[in-house]
Amino acid sequence: MSEVLLEVRDLVVHFPTPDGVVKAVDGVSFTIERGRTLGVVGESGSGKSITFLTVMGLINRKSARVSGEVLFEGRNLLEATTEELRHIRGDRIGMIFQDPMTSMHPMYRVGDQISEAILAHRNVGKREAGARAVEALRQVGIPAPEQRARQYPHEYSGGMRQRAMIAMALVLDPDLLIADEPTTALDVTVQAQILEVIDELKQRLNIGVALISHSLATVADVSQDVMVMYAGRPVERGTRGEVFDAPLHPYTLGLLSSVPRVDVRVERLVPIEGSPPSLINVPPGCAFHPRCPYRFDPCDRDVPDLRDRGGGHDDACHLSAEAKAANRRERLDMQEPVT
Amino acid sequence: MGRYIVRRLLWTVLVVVLVTLLTFVIFFVLPKGDPATRFAGKSPTPELIQEVKESLGLDKSVPEQYGLFLKRLVTGDEYGWPGLGKSFQNKQPVRPELIQRAQVTITLIIGGALLWLAIGIPVGVISALRRGSVLDRVSMGTALFFVSAPVFWLGLLSLYVFWKQLGWLPGTGYVSFGASPGTWFSHMLLPWMVLALLFAAIYARVVRGNMIDVMTEDYIRTARAKGLSERRVVMKHELRTGITPVITLLAIDLGVLVGGTIVTETVFNLQGLGNWLLIAAQNNDLPVTLAVTVLVAAAVSILSLVADILYAVLDPRVRYQ
Amino acid sequence: MRPRKMGTWALFGALVLAGSLGLAACGGDDSGDSDTNGGDNGAAAAKGGIYRVGTTDFGFNGGFDPSGEYLGWAWDLYSNLLTRQLTGYRHTEGAAGVELVPDVAESIPEPTDNGTTWTFTLKKGVMFGPPVNREVTSKDYVTAFERIGTESVVAQYGFYYSDIVGMKEFKEGTSKTISGITTPDDHTIVFKTTKPIGDFGYRLAMPATGPMPAEVTDCFTKAGEYGRYVISSGPYMIKGSDKLDATSCKTMKPISGFNPTKQLSMVRNPNYDAATDSTEQREALPDGFEFIINTNQKDIFDKIEAGEYEDSVDAVPPDVARRYSTDDALKDRLKSFTDDSTNYIYMNLGEAPFDDVNVRKAVNFVMDKDALRRAWGGPLYGEIGTHIAPPTLYPGSTEFDGYDPYASENNAGDLAKAQEAMKASAYDTDKDGSCDAGSCSGVLFLNRSIDPFVKMSPVIRESLAKIGIKVQVRELPTGPAYETSGNVSNRIQIGANARWGKDYPDASTFMVLFDGRNILATGNSNYALTGMTAAQAKEFKVPYPKGGVPTVDADIDTCAAAIGDERAACWVALDKKLMEEVVPWVPYMFGKNTDLLGPAVTKWDFDQFSGEAAYAHVAVDPSKQK
Repeated sequence: MSEVLLEVRDLVVHFPTPDGVVKAVDGVSFTIERGRTLGVVGESGSGKSITFLTVMGLINRKSARVSGEVLFEGRNLLEATTEELRHIRGDRIGMIFQDPMTSMHPMYRVGDQISEAILAHRNVGKREAGARAVEALRQVGIPAPEQRARQYPHEYSGGMRQRAMIAMALVLDPDLLIADEPTTALDVTVQAQILEVIDELKQRLNIGVALISHSLATVADVSQDVMVMYAGRPVERGTRGEVFDAPLHPYTLGLLSSVPRVDVRVERLVPIEGSPPSLINVPPGCAFHPRCPYRFDPCDRDVPDLRDRGGGHDDACHLSAEAKAANRRERLDMQEPVT
Repeated sequence: MGRYIVRRLLWTVLVVVLVTLLTFVIFFVLPKGDPATRFAGKSPTPELIQEVKESLGLDKSVPEQYGLFLKRLVTGDEYGWPGLGKSFQNKQPVRPELIQRAQVTITLIIGGALLWLAIGIPVGVISALRRGSVLDRVSMGTALFFVSAPVFWLGLLSLYVFWKQLGWLPGTGYVSFGASPGTWFSHMLLPWMVLALLFAAIYARVVRGNMIDVMTEDYIRTARAKGLSERRVVMKHELRTGITPVITLLAIDLGVLVGGTIVTETVFNLQGLGNWLLIAAQNNDLPVTLAVTVLVAAAVSILSLVADILYAVLDPRVRYQ
Repeated sequence: MRPRKMGTWALFGALVLAGSLGLAACGGDDSGDSDTNGGDNGAAAAKGGIYRVGTTDFGFNGGFDPSGEYLGWAWDLYSNLLTRQLTGYRHTEGAAGVELVPDVAESIPEPTDNGTTWTFTLKKGVMFGPPVNREVTSKDYVTAFERIGTESVVAQYGFYYSDIVGMKEFKEGTSKTISGITTPDDHTIVFKTTKPIGDFGYRLAMPATGPMPAEVTDCFTKAGEYGRYVISSGPYMIKGSDKLDATSCKTMKPISGFNPTKQLSMVRNPNYDAATDSTEQREALPDGFEFIINTNQKDIFDKIEAGEYEDSVDAVPPDVARRYSTDDALKDRLKSFTDDSTNYIYMNLGEAPFDDVNVRKAVNFVMDKDALRRAWGGPLYGEIGTHIAPPTLYPGSTEFDGYDPYASENNAGDLAKAQEAMKASAYDTDKDGSCDAGSCSGVLFLNRSIDPFVKMSPVIRESLAKIGIKVQVRELPTGPAYETSGNVSNRIQIGANARWGKDYPDASTFMVLFDGRNILATGNSNYALTGMTAAQAKEFKVPYPKGGVPTVDADIDTCAAAIGDERAACWVALDKKLMEEVVPWVPYMFGKNTDLLGPAVTKWDFDQFSGEAAYAHVAVDPSKQK
């Protein structure tokens, strides 16, 4: 039943710099299916944004070494020409960004910026494009869209602006929406609304969504699939239920215990100690091992690959399934499972 | 907007009053003796000095002179409105000469500005797009050269090459457009070029810097994510924000140049305002100094108002502040 | 002296127009070939063509109104081309050029009534140019004097005529006419003066006294206004004069040929009758003249070289002069003539240590005049000065041949004689030839801050240091320097910012600088304060030395009244007295004026009167013009 929209295989994105090679993405594979949302979670520098910018062809290919495959509707986008990519961007894949304040051109009207996307891909008149832009704004729940379309971005509130960005990304009925930290810059009260809009549209339009966030909580309610990334690699991947109910990787555990949750009372936040590694000098073995409270013999030596290690879904941790379950109980046993 | 403009125009009036007051104060406070004595000949008798003072209007008290100056400026004098009096130096009415010289200077500035925009903006944009390329390095190196090259040297060099050696262009001097458009143009070409090269170099560097900043903006990424063509991303999204700040720069430069093209005017023997101001300042020619000062102050104020209005038109964020 | 344009080495320094400074005596003098003797340039001189002259600025300080204009080059234009005074000059170089000759007057009369009455007979047939088109009569000269006496016109050298009987009353408005000037008929004019004025004939050669048609000049009674309407009585007129509608004051618009910021064009005056003139004074060969403002001085000389101009009012830049003077083919095109100006260092007779004549003599002995001249560029720029008024002002006199009371080898200063003089001074307490009193150090020395003056500062400082005088150098731009030295209360002790030139070829125009009665609180030009009285010192709040201040006021009065040979001898004696007994100055250089001629110039002469080119005697070959 499921239709795979995007399949990424062994994606590697390295940026050679005078200081050394920045291994921004270092072997990432995943799929996104129609009607499902993949939540991609990781701290900044984990490679989640670069992964999707590469999918969109928005990184500077001249300054990057890219390998692997990005299969969209059966075509490898890494081999597509600039022009082919351009036709896919905006039309087949829409993308929205972290900061709606800066992601819209400050000097053009919102409606015009949306129409511009239509005109770039469809052979329609300006009037028609304008009407569709207004309709798109209406679709994302912007009141009085006719007037709003004639306004400039700075006349919008942050949440409204992000709605407009979503309208812009979805105006051409793409198959896939990439939302790169869409709520990070917004007020807490608005965050839920935006996620709701994305989820609602996903269902209504039956599209695939990649929801990128540094917070598991953000993706918790609206994702069907979850992938956790660390230092350019996925460390855990599964359905929402699998990852949230039975997290395997210590990093995921750390993320979960540092999440303030409204549904669970916690005494205090348990942050992950230490900071993300330099992508130039990635620690040998498991990149997480310097910060891992459970590290043991092979962790600083062998790179753990992402596979089902007996925990029920894919993870990349040398610990035994039993040890993982024990750790989970220790860290999360006070907490009720997510429904 | 209307109220804003009115307020700014009133501000312009205040600027003119303050600047002329300052000019007056500098003129009379700086210790350099009695200006009347220099127009009273070699052996000035006290009576003659008094005659000169009366003829120059220097017999009145300084506040009275300033008041009279303002009054004439507002109500006009025997030579028309605004009343600017007669030059101390050549005893000619200032107003007609101001108009005549302003035409020369404005011709120089506008032609130069068109040229430097036509050179500076494309060079800046292309350098930014091809950042780090040989083209970028050559243009920026050339720009640095023209920014640092003394204008009088550049002027003399261009005259030497194009007039003396090659004979392609006529030498110095100004021919009015009405007299012969072709000759006018050929006489203005070198001054325009010399004035423009300096500013083209500055503008190219500014535009390049702006463009490089703009290129990393989120909304440029958005434009690409929308699937816009690269050409449209550059021409519509990057240029718009990359060039808009140039308007303010241009307005200020144009205003200042109204009295500031001294060297270009001198080298190319264009009897414009800058050259006049220089001579007037050297000769303590108060009415001429004041007239040019008024014009420059008004030009700077009004042009900056125009720049602000234009900026508001081009940048909606400014409009609503 | 009239102010003159000054040339400087700096390319744009020429914009600093000394012409704007009523006090400045600044001859433009660069290099020059002192061997050329003016006159014929070799080729055949013929009528025709336009003679074009470039200048960085006209520099007029009286709006080109002859009544007020006090600029040598303007006098050149009036007397060579535009207006005809009662007396005049031959407009040539040297002694012949400063000998007074009749112009519109039939002859120069001997004064009667003890030298107080001058009766002139006018030539017939001298005509005003268009649009006046009538004969010049004696009344037109009266008009000129009435304008001189009209305060609002601001006649800058009106003081030369203040001793005409009735001038005072006319000025004060108590008389509608000047009683001392009468016109028995249209061709006779009689001047009466309150006292004998030996050089009155010269004063009548000044352009302010030229004929003025009242029907035009009566419309312009403010300073400088008439400058745009000057009506010709000479061989040329301002181009466009014929278009002037003189039917009423209201219909007159400035004559088109004179744009004060761009150009002054002259064409032949159709009413000029050469028969009333002499070719010795005016040949009037070119068909017209164009005086063009070109703010780029380098460009002016490039254009002269290219044949686009014939001449310039500005001094020839030294690099150009050097190239021309060393090239045999070009040598003849570089002209250099002494312009009757004196460059001098003045010493304040009221201030220690210069209130002691021995100190002043020591300064004269020790000064390295050759080094000062080198600062100006060397011998091409002037002759070493050894007395007050330049030799041309003593025509026929041999008194100054080889005269140098402070002679030294190579003009580099004589330290031994300087020390000897210093020993006689009270300021040399130990008699070792070096000034050692307290007042010998921190001596305030004023100079200009521009080239070449600044180059002189170290020379003067070092020369004075040799005799123990330590100066504190103060350098100011030209204008402020003059204002500062002209303000007595500033108590400048010694200064080198000054130069002086003649107004007319009589030594009196130099001797006024030593007239104690001329000392003014501000705008003073007697910087040495020669002849200052104790009362004046008190008035100006400056010290008065115990030994007093020497005066030559009586000598000046005596000489001023003398005429003929007696007059010349009188001035010679006073000049020597000043040099040897009073010693207010160190005259170090007699300046020279330089001209560079374009390839089309076929005839050229130097006008000794104005110290500029003699436009009345130039000619061009249009075929060589570009």
